[in-house]
Amino acid sequence: MSDVLLKVSGLNKSFFGVQVLRDVGFELPRGAVLGLVGENGSGKSTTMNILGGVLHRDSGRVELAGEQIAPANSRDALALGIAFIHQELSLFPNLSVEENIFLDHFPRRMDRLPFIDRRTLREQAKEALELIDLHISPVTPVMRLPQGERQLVEIAKALTRRARLIIFDEPTTSLTARETERLFQIINRLRAQGISIIYISHILSDVLRLCDDIVVLRDGQVVGAGPRADFTIERLVTLMVGRTIDRLFPERGPGSGPHSTALSVRGVSQPGIVKEVSFDLRLGEVLGVSGLMGSGRSELARIVFGLDPYSEGEIRVGDTTLPPLAPREAMRRGVAFLTEDRRGEGLMMEASITDNIVLPSLIERSSGFVHWLKPAALGEAARGVAERVRVNVKAIDRTAVRVLSGGNQQKVVIAKWLLRAPTIFILDEPTRGIDVGAKYEVYKIINQMVTAGAAILFISSEIEELIGMADRIMVMGRGEVRGFFERANFDRETLMNAALWD
Amino acid sequence: MAETGSVLSFVSGGARSRPMRAFRWLLFSDYLVLALTLVYVAALWLVVPEILSPTNVRDIFLQILPLFIAALGLMMVLMVAQIDLSATSIMAMGCVVGASIMTSQDGYLAGEPWAPVVAILAIVAIGILIGVLNGICTIVFDMPSFLVTLTTMMFFSGAAIWYTAAHTSSGSSIGSLPPAFLEIGYGGVAGIPYAAIITILLAIVVHLLLTRTVFGHWIMAVGLNPSAAAISGVPVRAVVIGCFALSGLFAAFAAIIYTARLEAGTPILGQRILLDVIGAAVIGGVSLFGGKGTVIGVLFGVLFLSTVDNGLQLLGLSLSSVYAIKGGVILLAAVTDAIRHTLMARG
Amino acid sequence: MTMRLNRREFSALVVAAAAGIAPQAARAVEGGKTIALMFDAFDSDFWITGNNILKAKAKENGWTTLETISNRDQNKQNDQVKAMVERKVDGIVFIPTDNNAAIPAIRTANAASIPIIFFNRPPAPNDNKYVAIQADNRKIMQTTVSTLVDIAKKQGGKYKAVLLMGDLGDNNAVQRRDGALDILDANKDIVAVVSRVATEWNADKTFAGLTNAIQANPDVNMLISPSDSEDKIIEQVLKTAGKWHKTGEDGHVLFAGFDGDQNGYRLLSEKYMDVNGVQNLFYEVDLAYGAFKDIWGGKPVEKMLIDPGFAISQATLDGKREDMWGYHVWKEKNK
Repeated sequence: MSDVLLKVSGLNKSFFGVQVLRDVGFELPRGAVLGLVGENGSGKSTTMNILGGVLHRDSGRVELAGEQIAPANSRDALALGIAFIHQELSLFPNLSVEENIFLDHFPRRMDRLPFIDRRTLREQAKEALELIDLHISPVTPVMRLPQGERQLVEIAKALTRRARLIIFDEPTTSLTARETERLFQIINRLRAQGISIIYISHILSDVLRLCDDIVVLRDGQVVGAGPRADFTIERLVTLMVGRTIDRLFPERGPGSGPHSTALSVRGVSQPGIVKEVSFDLRLGEVLGVSGLMGSGRSELARIVFGLDPYSEGEIRVGDTTLPPLAPREAMRRGVAFLTEDRRGEGLMMEASITDNIVLPSLIERSSGFVHWLKPAALGEAARGVAERVRVNVKAIDRTAVRVLSGGNQQKVVIAKWLLRAPTIFILDEPTRGIDVGAKYEVYKIINQMVTAGAAILFISSEIEELIGMADRIMVMGRGEVRGFFERANFDRETLMNAALWD
Repeated sequence: MAETGSVLSFVSGGARSRPMRAFRWLLFSDYLVLALTLVYVAALWLVVPEILSPTNVRDIFLQILPLFIAALGLMMVLMVAQIDLSATSIMAMGCVVGASIMTSQDGYLAGEPWAPVVAILAIVAIGILIGVLNGICTIVFDMPSFLVTLTTMMFFSGAAIWYTAAHTSSGSSIGSLPPAFLEIGYGGVAGIPYAAIITILLAIVVHLLLTRTVFGHWIMAVGLNPSAAAISGVPVRAVVIGCFALSGLFAAFAAIIYTARLEAGTPILGQRILLDVIGAAVIGGVSLFGGKGTVIGVLFGVLFLSTVDNGLQLLGLSLSSVYAIKGGVILLAAVTDAIRHTLMARG
Repeated sequence: MTMRLNRREFSALVVAAAAGIAPQAARAVEGGKTIALMFDAFDSDFWITGNNILKAKAKENGWTTLETISNRDQNKQNDQVKAMVERKVDGIVFIPTDNNAAIPAIRTANAASIPIIFFNRPPAPNDNKYVAIQADNRKIMQTTVSTLVDIAKKQGGKYKAVLLMGDLGDNNAVQRRDGALDILDANKDIVAVVSRVATEWNADKTFAGLTNAIQANPDVNMLISPSDSEDKIIEQVLKTAGKWHKTGEDGHVLFAGFDGDQNGYRLLSEKYMDVNGVQNLFYEVDLAYGAFKDIWGGKPVEKMLIDPGFAISQATLDGKREDMWGYHVWKEKNK
């Protein structure tokens, strides 16, 4: 089992004269899991895209089972046995599971006729689903499956193409903890069957748990490689950012500490979504909200901000009750909301950084009956907050948000709310999909705000992050509050148990 | 990668690359459509020099006015990623109702000196009402605007014909409009027709609305990403309904100018210009997917279409060749636009 | 590299397009007078044939023609008049869409002192200078029905007639009805009108109306139609009722049509139809061009020039068919 399946050496690639890969090399034995980590822009995606046939290398060698390969496109790569499971799944939600699995290689009648052999299709699909332990009917439309099962379908698809190497790119970002566990079991089973895996993730604890070997990339170069035993989270972070980050979470400056109640939620219920949720958020504190996906944490945030309805209960800011379904009213009382879906709900990707930042503040910064705007003053204000959150782009009024990195995009979302100087900031997964360096900066901004007396509701699926940042943690499950934990009682296991307990 | 190389050489090149640089700038600017128009005019000038005669140029500019107004209205709906097919039926309905009020043949207010004012107010009210109806159906009942406005288009086109038949013996149009109203089509101050003054004012208003007001920024935001706009406190529904209302209002203004020009309210007014209105907006760079559009771009789009038409009219060719040439010229413009987008995407 | 090529291709295309246009347009400036033929749409054989005759007779006169089509957009057609004025044409033949909204076009032509002739679509009454060529529908129908009644008298016997009337909101239809009634009322002794059907120019209404009329009066033996566009439906209904017979055969229904289109010609030549009222397109074009010549020569011209039309029957078919425009359409299609 120790023979080498994939051998990459001396890989170079440059775009427009900028070298993005420098002499990248690594080996992957048959039946092993290789973890690939690095900040955004470190060259992970470029490397994988070359393996998957999406990009072409400038120089270097890629050997698969001893043979030099150079896939021209992803079809080629698949034919060679390399399957690439992307962050955004490539399934067609309106088609059935079996149709998705066999989309580009339907079994045909008599092997040749242009008619689909439905019976063979059904049988082969069943076999494929067996392999990944997914007990659903092959005719189920993919849109009825939860995210985790969709990912398994994608794996089944790779298996039917007799993949020898499966590349996973951030597979757990949208999975619940249970689904993640299940995925890891499947990966272990694939490994046992002799299939090799490349696993890319920002969640370092997962990488350390799952992978046999780890390769760390920084600025297009391999800066660390070896068996998992050689690494700890701290060492991985140091290698990734190229400097020692003493702490994963920045020190909070001296502030007034938690005092008067800013936001008070009393008995808020909405059938099927949340049930009898009550909590107080005080000025000068970070209240962490933990829970699995579907626990109601994001839904609660949307209700508080006035985006979704609720049938019972009361939400008060200071002394006044917030009317339901009125985000403008919430904003006027100093509430801000960073959504978990940065691209879909947080930003206008095609618009400039400036236009994105000023959007929530337009009314307050206009004058007269027709709400006249002064572009120069708006631009100045936007530049101010952009500098504060360290979006380092010169022409923010001419740069589309689309071209920014994930971390910078998230900073733009934060900046657009900072311009309103909110007293209550609801952050839903503020560090999802951004790299370690950017995460650290987001944490710093949060600390600055709290020190200045703001109240933060910090929703996250990474428990370590909440433990590092929150003053208190509220655990949710099935739409209910499962309990509150003070900083002294923070403990990963206790929190997980509270979330999982039924 | 050859393109990249030459792009870089433009930037670093000396005197020889200057025309190429200018060409490249033109290719990516709003002025491309204007340039294509000028090329077309130059080509036709060889055959029909009349195209550049002062009266013809003046005629072209007078002809585009109502089309331009209607296209500006449509632009605002397109910018919130909706579509309004009813603009031309609003024109038809507005102009026959307006005409029935002020015509000297059995008009509701025949002979009254203030009849034209009432008629204009009625046309404007019809425009706004139908626009709001479109907006409410689209937003509140969550129907596709294509379907909603297709329905209102058919309904009000039919209603306009029915209304005309009910108000005249000939059934085809309502004429004999008061001279005071016709002044809008023919009169002017200091040699500038009223229609031109109205159009220029409206264009300036739309330009300022889009670039200098909160509402304009909201339109852009709703078009680019309605979810993000809603979370940022933009009243998305009100903005969309507002855009439909504006589209209706602008169609009404266009109807007033058309009616004054034709000296009659006719229910088939505008039936044929729907594609010209949409075409002008799209050629002028308004995106059908929302969030993108400028007044100057739409002006160039309207100018382009009308100039092509005018040139072909001057030629007086047999009819089949007119359609073929018009289609060819528009296709050429579309292809140029596509090439430009491809180049832009490559940087 | 790509861009330079594009520009060159673009210029080449423009030049090619210009070169393609040039010879045809050059023709426009040499010799004789130039007249504009301004149509709104070609939705029937009548207008297509009209256009052909106008062009052919202009050529005979040594004139050049420019053509426009407005696609039923009166605003555009008024703009087209401006373009034609710009081209300094010597005369305009005008087929507008709307009788009121065409008035600004007359004013444009008047201002440039270019004669404008309305061809079969007169404008709403107004004080500007124009000439309208108009077929006298009532007169043509009178001639047609009296020819039919003469045939009936010759055959002898009494007649029960169905009168189809078109859409009575349409002035032409009213004129045709009145023309038919003028003659029928004078011959009540031999013809009784047992049913009047308003077809509204609608195939379904024609079918239903005529079927009902025949069921109520199975002994109907005379039929007067206001338009050859209804001929095919009439044929269908009469066949169903067992009444579709040639002249001279037993049970033949005396049948008068109107328009003189190719269906009318076919039915006459096949002897199913007895008489057809024809609008004399050739004569109308002569009227129009005569008016141009008179105006250019400074002679006064009437504002309304009437085409009295003619009736054509099986007996006169061979002699008169050259003047029947539908015959030329038929000939073209049956070559």
